[in-house]
Order: sequence, then structure tokens, then C-alpha cells
Amino acid sequence: MSKSLLSIFFTFLKIGAFTIGGAYAMIPLIKREVVDKHRWVTEDDFLDGLAAAQSCPGPIAVNISIYLGLHIRKGWGMLVALLGTMLPSIITIILVAELFTHYADLPLVRKAFHGLKPALVALIVVPLIEMTKNAKLNLSNFWVPLVAMVLVGLLGVSPIWLILATIVFCVGQSLWLKGRLS
Amino acid sequence: MSMLTMFATFVKIGLFSFGGGYAILAMIQQEVVTRHGWLTASEFTDVVAISQMTPGPIAINAATFIGYQQAGIWGSLVCTFGVILPSLILMLVITLTYLKLRKLPWFKNIFQKLRWVTLGLIGAAVILIGKGSFDGLFSVLVFLASLAVYWRFKVNPIHLMLGAAVVGMIFG
Repeated sequence: MSKSLLSIFFTFLKIGAFTIGGAYAMIPLIKREVVDKHRWVTEDDFLDGLAAAQSCPGPIAVNISIYLGLHIRKGWGMLVALLGTMLPSIITIILVAELFTHYADLPLVRKAFHGLKPALVALIVVPLIEMTKNAKLNLSNFWVPLVAMVLVGLLGVSPIWLILATIVFCVGQSLWLKGRLS
Repeated sequence: MSMLTMFATFVKIGLFSFGGGYAILAMIQQEVVTRHGWLTASEFTDVVAISQMTPGPIAINAATFIGYQQAGIWGSLVCTFGVILPSLILMLVITLTYLKLRKLPWFKNIFQKLRWVTLGLIGAAVILIGKGSFDGLFSVLVFLASLAVYWRFKVNPIHLMLGAAVVGMIFG
């Protein structure tokens, strides 16, 4: 198992280039490369990192690259892993942005997007339904996502306020429980 | 508009984007469309659609795209660095504390509850993207067909998007 910076960089470059459609498509590929093929980290370490990456703010792919890079080769490992993951999307998007400024208003392009946009909504609805099923919602908490959806989607409230309110509520709840126990 | 404003905005987006992917959309829309007007609602939906067909996380793609449109290559680098900076700091802390933080009950409690909020934020993204997407019978039909195909056959999202684009070019 080579832990050279170059092989770390190219492994994460491959991961970054071939995962289209979000972090959930990316995770099996990352595991295959980093755990099964290169044996840079154990499966347990990988799963710990994945859980941390999912609970930390920011893109999950970026978070897990930071964690894995650090585990494999400390600071430099982290930098090259991060660079590898992000470079394909940065280059692609700069090219697309350049094309987009010239061709976005062509009739054929508009017609393509006319078909793309409703399909995009479907792409979000399906995982939403699946996540809702897995979230173990019950009578005491099902209103939380509903209220969040209405506030942000219909009333234009910034998600920041909901997240801050949740954190404040949870910290208060933990302090209250602690106070009752002691 | 200054680089500093762009940088600060994307740091904020990075810091408050819990739950990854679709849950971040409402946050980006709020900042980029509603607050700063860097993109129209329709352009924002275009960018999200493009992100689905190109590699990489949507937050990175949106940051690069908007940065590039507003201020060229440097703009795209500044925005992209901004959006990952909170991840960089927080993941460093979590990893270097050997993930102990994550095992603390009060820390776990926060993320348990944030998961419910995250569901709502994805729901909000459906509303926000839907607003810019539905404009008649054609779009409703494409939506229902995509939903059925994606739900039933679990096709690769890129294939679904390419199919929808072709349908749009022919019938849209």
C-alpha cells in the first residue's frame, strides 16, 4: 500500500471525477478505493469518519475527504485529498459557467432546461420520501419537518434561524436534564 | 460587489449547511437569490440542474459557478474556499479530538434533532425549485414521468436528466 501524496491525490481525483449526483453516490466508491483497494484506513475508521462527515456542516464529500486525508497522511494528506475531490468539479463548473454565459439563452438550450427542471424536482422528491420513511417520525415530532418546510419554502425564513433555534433548544434541553439528575 | 462579501456569504452557507446536498439548496437560494440577487430564481434552478449532471457536491458547484460569473477565476476560487472553510476547521477539530465530541450526549442530541429540520429543508427545496420549474401541463407531465421512472427503476440520475433534456428539446 503506497501512501505517497501522489497516489492519495489521484485516488481522490478519481473519486471526485466519477461521482455525479451527490454524496450518496460517492460513499460506496470512496469505501472501495480507500478501505478495500488501498487499505489506507480500516472499515471501522471509515464508518466513524462517515458519521462525523454527515453530522458536520458542509458538503459530505468534502468532510470525508478531510477526515480520510488526515488519517492517511496528516496535514499534507488532507490537502491533496481535498484538492483531488474538488478539482474535477471546479474545472467542470468553470467551463460550464463560461459556456452558459454565451449559450444559456439559445432556444434549444431553454427547451432542454424546460424538460430538465421538472425532472430535477422528481430527483429531490424520491430521496425525500425515502428519508422521511427512515426518519422514524412519530406524533410528537412529525411537525418539525413540516414547520421547517413551510417557514423556509413558503415564508422565506432563512434556514440559519431554524438551525440556531434547534441548537439552542437542544443545549437547553441537555442542561435541563442534567440539572434534574444532579 | 466585493470579493469580501462573496467570501463571507459562502462561509455562512458552508457553516449552516447541515445534512448535505438537497438540504443545502434552500440555504444557497436564500443567500444568493433572495438576499444578494446574484442569480435569478430561474438561473438558480439552471445551476442546480447543471450540478446534477456534473461531478462534485452542489455547494462547491454553486460556489464555483456564482464566483466565476461575478468575478472570474479569482471569484470562483474565493467563493469555493469560503464554502469549505467551516468544514475544514470543524472536521479538523472533530478528527483531532478522535471523534470524542461526536459521542457526547448533548452533541448527539443536536444532530438527532437537526435531522428532522433537515427533512423540512429538503421539502423547502422541493417548493423553491418547483416554483421555478412548473409552468404548465408539459412540466407536470415530465415531473410525473420522471417520478415514476426514478421511483420504479432507480435509473442513474444523469440518464434521467439527459432523457428529460431531450424530451424538452423535442416537445418543450
